[in-house]
Amino acid sequence: MKKVSLLQLFWTFFKIGAFTFGGGYAMISLLSEELVKNKKWITDADMLDMIVIAESTPGVIAVNTATGVGLKTRGFWGSIIATLAVVLPSYITISVVYFVITALEGNIWWNSAMKGINACVTVLVVNAFLKMVKQLPRNWFSAIMLIVAFGIATFIPAVNVILLILAGAVIGIVIACISRARHPMVNVDNVEQSSEKEDE
Amino acid sequence: MEFLLLFWEYFKIGLFTIGGGYAMLPMVKQIVLEHGWIENTQLISFIGISESTPGPFAINLATFVGMEVGRAQAEGTMGIILGFVGSAIATFAVVLPSLVIIMIVMRLFAKFNNNFYVQNALVGIRPVVVGLILSAVLTIGFAVFFPKLDFGNLSADGFSQFNWVSLLMFVAMFVVSRIKFKGKKMHPIVLIVSSAVLGIVVFGAFGVVE
Repeated sequence: MKKVSLLQLFWTFFKIGAFTFGGGYAMISLLSEELVKNKKWITDADMLDMIVIAESTPGVIAVNTATGVGLKTRGFWGSIIATLAVVLPSYITISVVYFVITALEGNIWWNSAMKGINACVTVLVVNAFLKMVKQLPRNWFSAIMLIVAFGIATFIPAVNVILLILAGAVIGIVIACISRARHPMVNVDNVEQSSEKEDE
Repeated sequence: MEFLLLFWEYFKIGLFTIGGGYAMLPMVKQIVLEHGWIENTQLISFIGISESTPGPFAINLATFVGMEVGRAQAEGTMGIILGFVGSAIATFAVVLPSLVIIMIVMRLFAKFNNNFYVQNALVGIRPVVVGLILSAVLTIGFAVFFPKLDFGNLSADGFSQFNWVSLLMFVAMFVVSRIKFKGKKMHPIVLIVSSAVLGIVVFGAFGVVE
C-alpha cells in the first residue's frame, strides 16, 4: 500500500464530492477508478470490503466509503479529513444555491421550472425504489416485511420510522434463531428461498 | 434550542438509516414535517435540487434543511449567519454516527461481517427500508398529483384537486428514464434539466393551469 499524505487524501475526496451527482452508488464507480486503478491506495478486495461495510452500516454510502478509505490509508485523522473533504463541496454549493433559489421564489418562470422538476423527482424516487427491490432476496419474508412496513409508514404516519427499522432488525434475528433451532447449520436465506414472488 | 433539536434529529437520521441516501428520505420527511421546518412541496423542490447539484444527495438535503431552520431563527443578516450555522450542524450531525461506527467496524470487519446477529438484523432491515422508500414514493408522488391528499387521514376531499398535467409529465419522464441510449440510461441531471425546461414550456410559456 502506498503512503498517502493527508493533503492528497483531502484533495482526492474533495474532488470526488464535487464531481458526483446523486449519491453513493454513482460515487462507487468513480471511487474504484480513482483509488484502485489510478492512485493504487487500496486494492480491489479492499474496495469490495469497504462497499459491504458502507452498505450495512448506517449513513450515506459515499460518506461511509470516504471514512473507510481515510481510516485504511491514514488512520484516525485520515478518516476525519476524508469525511470532511467529501462533505465540503455539498456544503459550499448548497449554501450558494439556497440563496439563489430564495431570491427566485415567486418568479413565474422559476415556479414553472420547479413544477417540472417536482414531477421528475417522483421519477427518481420510483427508480431508486425499483433498484433497491431488485437487490432484495426474492422470498416471502422480504415481500411481507416490505408490504407491512410500507402500509404502516403510509397509513399510520404517527408511527416512528426508527421503530419500524428496529422492528425489522429484531424480526430478522428472531426468525433466523427459530430457523436455526429447527434446521441446525442452515441459514434463514436458504430456507426462505421457496418463492419467486416479490411485491404486489 | 432549535439547533439542539436539529442536531439530535439529524443524528438520529444518521444513526438509523441503513441503505444510503434514499433510505434517509422517509425519516427526513417525517421529521421536517413533524417540526414544521419545511413544507411538503418545498421538500420536493429541495430533493430535486439536491439531486442536480454536486455531492451526495442526502448531504445536500441535510444542508438545505439546516439552512432553512437557521434562517427561520432571525431576521436579516443574522438569519443568514444562523442559516450557515444550521446547515453545518445538520451536516455534521448526519455524518457523525457513521464516522464513529465505521471506525469501530473497520477494526472488527471479519467478526462483523460473519456475525449471525448483524447479518440477520440486516436481512430484516433491508426489506423494511425498501418498504419505507415505497411509502415515500407514494406520499411524495401523490403530493404532486393530489395536493390535498393526506394518507394519514383519507377522505374524498383529498381527491378533489388533481394535477393531471404533472401526472402526464411524470409518465413521460418515467418512460424516458427507463430507455437506454447507446446502452446507457439517461443521467438524472439530464432528466432534471429537461423536466425543468418542460415545466417552463408547459406552465410558463403556454400558461397551462392545473
